[in-house]
Amino acid sequence: MTSRLISANLLLGLAPIALVIAAWQGLVSFGFAPATLLPPPGYVFSRLLQQLVSWTFQQEIAATLVRLFAGFAIAVVLGVSIGIAAAANPAINAVVRPIVRVLAPLPKVALYPALLLLLGFGHGSKIALVTADALFPILLSTYYGASTVEQKLIWSAMAAGTSRYEILFRVILPAAMPSILTGCRIGLVISCIVVFLAEMITSTDGLGHALVTAARTFQAVDMFVPLITISLLGLILNALLGAVRSYLLRGFPEA
Amino acid sequence: MKVVPSRSSEWVKPVASQKPASAIIEIDRVSQVFQTSARKDHLALSDISLTIEEGAFVSILGPSGCGKSTLLYIVGGFVSPTSGAARIKGQAITGPGPDRGPVFQEFALFPWKTVLGNVMYGPRQQGVRASEADALSRSLIEMVGLKGYENFYPKELSGGMKQRVALARTLAYHPEVLLMDEPFGALDAHTRTRLQNDLLNIWERDRKTVLFVTHSVDEAVFLSDKVVMMSKSPGRIRQVIDIDLPRPRRRSELLLDPRYQKYVVDIERMFDESDEAGSAT
Amino acid sequence: MISPTALTRRAAPVLACIGLLAVWQVASLVLKNDSFPTAIEAIRAVPDILGDKEALINILASLRRMAMGFGVAVLFSIPLGLLMGRSRAVAAFFNPLLMVIYPVPKAALMPIIMLWLGVGDVTKTLVIFLGVSLPVIYHSFEGAKAVEEKMLWSGAAMGLSPLQRLVRIVLPAALPEILTGCRTGLVLALITMITSEMIARQSGAGNILFNALDMGQYDTVFAMIIIVGAMGICLDAIFERIRARLVRWSEPQFDMPLSFS
Repeated sequence: MTSRLISANLLLGLAPIALVIAAWQGLVSFGFAPATLLPPPGYVFSRLLQQLVSWTFQQEIAATLVRLFAGFAIAVVLGVSIGIAAAANPAINAVVRPIVRVLAPLPKVALYPALLLLLGFGHGSKIALVTADALFPILLSTYYGASTVEQKLIWSAMAAGTSRYEILFRVILPAAMPSILTGCRIGLVISCIVVFLAEMITSTDGLGHALVTAARTFQAVDMFVPLITISLLGLILNALLGAVRSYLLRGFPEA
Repeated sequence: MKVVPSRSSEWVKPVASQKPASAIIEIDRVSQVFQTSARKDHLALSDISLTIEEGAFVSILGPSGCGKSTLLYIVGGFVSPTSGAARIKGQAITGPGPDRGPVFQEFALFPWKTVLGNVMYGPRQQGVRASEADALSRSLIEMVGLKGYENFYPKELSGGMKQRVALARTLAYHPEVLLMDEPFGALDAHTRTRLQNDLLNIWERDRKTVLFVTHSVDEAVFLSDKVVMMSKSPGRIRQVIDIDLPRPRRRSELLLDPRYQKYVVDIERMFDESDEAGSAT
Repeated sequence: MISPTALTRRAAPVLACIGLLAVWQVASLVLKNDSFPTAIEAIRAVPDILGDKEALINILASLRRMAMGFGVAVLFSIPLGLLMGRSRAVAAFFNPLLMVIYPVPKAALMPIIMLWLGVGDVTKTLVIFLGVSLPVIYHSFEGAKAVEEKMLWSGAAMGLSPLQRLVRIVLPAALPEILTGCRTGLVLALITMITSEMIARQSGAGNILFNALDMGQYDTVFAMIIIVGAMGICLDAIFERIRARLVRWSEPQFDMPLSFS
């Protein structure tokens, strides 16, 4: 009964996606949009498959992934450690809080020209931009998770003889884990988006660059392919992190 | 309806022996099935029939999970029964309406409205003029003992005060029947007795019909004219007991009254028996 | 009267700004890099940009498109999110589509939409609309889903119709969450605006940034960064003020922007 319900919901959910693709096909088939501006979906997807197995395109994906993971990893390390430190220590909190308050709503992409000037046009500036954008969601949700840890949990651990330092790693970090992972998930998708945009603005390789190259030569199909690729990457990475999350949080209720 | 035979059946008097009153709510062979998991159905209510007279204070008493709240929600029209029907004044209940006012354990106040705003909400919805609704609401707020708190937001009130506001909010649109779903269940013991006393005092004024769900035997006996005892899995009416105690009731007098004590002890004993019978099967 | 603690709390962000600028000043003096002007030099260049009529018109045009895109997105997203939160069928219908759209870089659609609709205001506003919609839909959805059932029942008992319940109970009850989404959306509107202008390089604040970069006017580059950063911080602070006023009644929330989705 429940499984039937789920499959009914799935069908309902696939309907709008099917509708979008049908409308897309319809626009081309009935001549509302010329194929040069809006290539038919079948053409785009076959081109996507063709590109995914080509060496040059794989190179572009690799370049994007390197920047994506480097930036994201730095953001996780910085975000989690600053977040925990700010939650655990009032002095650090007093310094970090106002700085975060100012920097969080700042459009990080505006820093990109400055990063280009300081770190050059290679990997460095793009990785730094990804880090800057992914940092705050991770930092804030770590801080939130760590500062809302049940006081009685800490008292219980202290009563059992855990030292203050150990409590940080044995109690606060695991207790804040659900919140940290939520932040990481948001940060990861943001990383995907930002690395692509950075490559579009200025780059010599990567998926974003592939789109810009296609746009300069008005190759509509090749504009769709990198865009779909980065979105697929986002979905896949999101699902992977979801799997990691449900593994790490198997003891938590409704994780 | 099955009535489990009991030693205490001497109290099950025919309703006609009370003052003649007309039925306001009729519950007719109501059953409710919930789907709990993929293949399991849970029979929450099984073939319940019950008649409630106008002006009566009726408690539905039973262990948690016996479907007593579900029964109340069916009367409220919030949940529709799997089979059977509930009627108010002969009209089938198809949905919620201002003739039946709920008071929930969770208070369910509108947090974005002040105390006054909450109480005024119902009358305004019924088309009462603002000045009139304002005057009515202020007098109700005073009646539930919250004069001076008109402009407070719910988050600034204690649990007991929130429940007073919820009661005033429901009384404000003059429902014919009050549906109270374990209203004092979330309160501490002290607040609970105070609210019970106040509820009785308010009820004495106009003797509205009250359907009151609770799992506390004291509370049911103290407040009610009639106690409907329910047993669980499946939820059935076990017995209906008339509480023949004088009104107005004073807590201090009642607690010393042997008749009150006997009601409480006997009802508790009946539940114990059914627990043993239940664990034996 | 403002108490000393409240005063420090209000002054803290200002102090943080001054601190960050000081760090910048010291770093640039130490690095002695031609392409990295000091904070003071950059601040000196700010009035030049704002005094330049063409630049100012460009920036104001950007802001107008941003306001348009944000406004339309909010008007569209809140009702959709609320409906999704109260109806399982509506949620099941839209959720997968939104999940697929979620990781698409919205500003990257700029070249494609330009292909169809040209480089006019419609294209730029549409891209901002796309950028803002998702977080607002998501938060409205979450807010509506969390509305207590018993509160709706109370409303139904007072005679509110389903539509009235949506407007008069679900909307206000979900408002704190909706406004959190709008706050995220506002910052995203600014980000999408700047990014799409950097990609399209036609006009606007993002374009000024890269023109200055190409021409080696490093003071202007950094001055523009200060201007854009100030816009983000001010918009966020103003919106936070409005939000706090609107939902005074709600339980105190975590006062940092938590969600960036």
